[in-house]
Amino acid sequence: MNISHLILELVLMPIVAFVVGLFMVLMMRKIGARLQRRIGPPLLQPLYDIIKLYSKRTQISHGMIHEMGIIMAVGGYVAAETLLPVPGMSGLADKGGVVTLAYVLMIPSLGLALGVGQCANPNGSIGISRALTAMLAYDIPFILVVFGAAYVYGTTNLAEMIAIQQQQGVSSWGIMQMPLLALAGIMTLPAIMGKQPFEIYVAPAEIATGPMVEMGGKFMGGLFVMQCFQFYTAGVLYTTLFLGGGVYWITFLPKIFLVVAIPMSIAYMFPRYRTEDVLRLMWKWPVLVGIVGLAVAML
Amino acid sequence: MTLLDQLIILSAMTVIVTLLVGKHSIGGWIATLMYAGQGMLLWKMSALGYSAAEVVDSSFTLQILNQNLHWRFDALSWFFAIITVGAGLCSSWFSSGVWGRSYQKISGKLGLLRFALAFNVFSMLVLLASGELLSLFIGWELVSWASFLIMAMGSARAARYAMRYLIYAIAGAMAILGAMVLVYSITGSFEFDAFKAAVPAMSRSMLWLLFGLFAAGFGIKMALLPFHLWQAKAYAETPGPGGAFLGAISSRMGLFAIILVLVQLLGVARLAELDIPYTFLSARDLLAWVAVLTIIFATFTALRQHDARRLLAWHGIGQGGYMLLGIMIADDLGSAGGLMHVFNHATYQALLFMVVTAVIYRTGTSDLNKLGGLVARMPISFFLMLIGIIGLAGLPPMNGFVSKWLIYRSLIIDESPLLFVAAVIGTLGTILSVYKLIHNTFLGQLRLEHNEVEEAPWSMTLPMIILAALVFVTGYFPGLVLDWVSAVQGAVGLPVLAHHLGGVAIDKGGLDMVWIVSVLLVGFGIGTLVFFAGGRSRRVHQLDNYAGGHFLTAETRYQYSDNFYPGLMHLIAPWYRKSFRWLERSLIAFIDILSQAMQGLYRHSHPVFYLLVVVVVSLSWVLKQ
Repeated sequence: MNISHLILELVLMPIVAFVVGLFMVLMMRKIGARLQRRIGPPLLQPLYDIIKLYSKRTQISHGMIHEMGIIMAVGGYVAAETLLPVPGMSGLADKGGVVTLAYVLMIPSLGLALGVGQCANPNGSIGISRALTAMLAYDIPFILVVFGAAYVYGTTNLAEMIAIQQQQGVSSWGIMQMPLLALAGIMTLPAIMGKQPFEIYVAPAEIATGPMVEMGGKFMGGLFVMQCFQFYTAGVLYTTLFLGGGVYWITFLPKIFLVVAIPMSIAYMFPRYRTEDVLRLMWKWPVLVGIVGLAVAML
Repeated sequence: MTLLDQLIILSAMTVIVTLLVGKHSIGGWIATLMYAGQGMLLWKMSALGYSAAEVVDSSFTLQILNQNLHWRFDALSWFFAIITVGAGLCSSWFSSGVWGRSYQKISGKLGLLRFALAFNVFSMLVLLASGELLSLFIGWELVSWASFLIMAMGSARAARYAMRYLIYAIAGAMAILGAMVLVYSITGSFEFDAFKAAVPAMSRSMLWLLFGLFAAGFGIKMALLPFHLWQAKAYAETPGPGGAFLGAISSRMGLFAIILVLVQLLGVARLAELDIPYTFLSARDLLAWVAVLTIIFATFTALRQHDARRLLAWHGIGQGGYMLLGIMIADDLGSAGGLMHVFNHATYQALLFMVVTAVIYRTGTSDLNKLGGLVARMPISFFLMLIGIIGLAGLPPMNGFVSKWLIYRSLIIDESPLLFVAAVIGTLGTILSVYKLIHNTFLGQLRLEHNEVEEAPWSMTLPMIILAALVFVTGYFPGLVLDWVSAVQGAVGLPVLAHHLGGVAIDKGGLDMVWIVSVLLVGFGIGTLVFFAGGRSRRVHQLDNYAGGHFLTAETRYQYSDNFYPGLMHLIAPWYRKSFRWLERSLIAFIDILSQAMQGLYRHSHPVFYLLVVVVVSLSWVLKQ
């Protein structure tokens, strides 16, 4: 592949991710609205929200690190999207596989944590402490799933995983080869996406939305953009590991929207768990299912 | 006179110079220049770093009891030596300016500190140069006493922890000496080659004995579980630059010896053949599991600390586990990761200790409950610590990620899911812990008493900037370090890692950091553009924020730092306490039984029983004849 083609892909991949992510946010709101018997927002509402936030007149900054945190949160996801192969574009998938991706995805969280830290707001710090604890909770089953997938496909390269599943048909999809690991993966998805019942770190009535408490205007806008990327990344990664990835966007898009729709539908039906309950839950069921799944896959 | 002779002599001269003029301001600069000179000499030997076959001998030899003691440098020694001298150089530079003057004013022991540092570097170089088991033991003892000196010279409390270290170190030395006597009784020589040649003919029980004695003896220096109790407190109490030096490299001498004896001489393949009866495990797996448990225990202990230096020192123990884990996997990727982690850890750990020392210099404390918000006053130190913690946590784009990635990747290839998950748990715990470190030091509420604090002076920030640059550059271009690492692999008989400037290009998923880091930097650039595309932001005072209906004033201490992860601690603290206590109690009980047995033996409490035993044994011997 020549270099100009690669650079074109690197430019396109984050843009596609952002646009698809916008629609995922819209879908989340629509699902919530329908479950609550409302109509929900119009098609372009997520875009309007971002434009509104960025163009607000009052933009409160608590200092350089507050700003840097938002930059790291958005920039980290922009970079991460180039590691995530999609139909027609592989980007840097061969230069850093799924393990690298898992670690690059921690950079936005770290950036956000730093930014919130400088706000000197106890609610924000409590929120970050909870968010990082939640990360420790869901990353353990997640990493089991990653190991299982790398073992079953015999590679950490996401593009090769897609190729293997595409060549050998539906029976070779991850969900058929390692159903228990796929189950463990779908159990951790709500926590990875920070949705109910695992959004204790936001807890508006208790700690005033936690990490978001000092975020307004374009700071909030940055987090909104980050959320678009976050949903997209979760959907695409799960589809790549278990649902055969995709060769054409027409078959790929329904898969990733379906994956994201599952945790979102669950989200609106549950209250929230306490932090230690998140740990207990994540370390018990998905880990258990994941270990059994791994044992099944490896024996 | 060979280059190695010149190096050792220059190092010895540094010791003498610091002894004579160490307490003067100029003494620090002279010593720093002399460390730089040692670095230059090492660089002249750089052929060692790029070729496994090269050896530089010392012309100095010693005859004791018909044993020829000699010293030499190979790729392994050179790799550890360049880290040692680099850490010495940065620590010495750091202490040469205002820090040294203020330390001299407060404690009056600056000369002793510089002497102890130089003596440590000298003794480590001697150890690294050892050419056979006897000189290895001499070097080992020198290093032990040198580290005792630098640990004990601090406060009275430090001396107590140093004494604890000494007890461990003497026990370890005895184990090593015992193993060497065993080797000598088999081969009749202390030479490495004779030992290596005798290994295939050794019985399994003999191999187990040698493995146990060597691993325990060297493992004590690395503070492997269950010998971990001495290190963190002793290192944390060592004065600033001394602590940075110890944290960076001192305990890695244990790893050096493990690589030399267990990997190069005994061979990992031989260890993998040593099964533990009635289990699936071998001696190699045993060490790998010890390494992984060290990672987890030490990391989550670090998470509970509220003193910045203790927190870092505990992480030092945990990161040592990664190095041993990588080397015990013993394939090309894993051992490269383990070796590279020695370098990486030295760079960011020295950096982090120095930043904390700079904070102590300006504020007088490293208690995380008494700091906060310093980023507004010490922004350069903040960024340096940020680079350090990203390295320590093992996230891209810093060098710690590359070495850990190599270890993860090899664990996937090795099909060891449990070791893999355990290694990742260690990394996740580290992220939580280092965030607490940077949050409680630099972020959050700035205290009133720190309102007038200034940035650390240049004599302290410059060596830190150099270290931070190393952390970043060797993360961007890991091939620079992997060149040395692959020479070491060749020299100790491990499979050599094929690599390029950006990382490794293996089938089924490689790593190219040049691309990854570039794309991250571009990503941050786009993030910046997007951010500044929005409206102009207005800076507000830190107290101007939303507290859910309360009003915040400067008198309100609302910094959230004590018990930073309550949800996590609520869950894991009981498990943790129980398993820790259980481990300690079982060790104590074991030693208790031994001592009771010895007491019984010594006092002849049961003479009839012993008589019986002797009679039975001799009878059986006679009958067997």
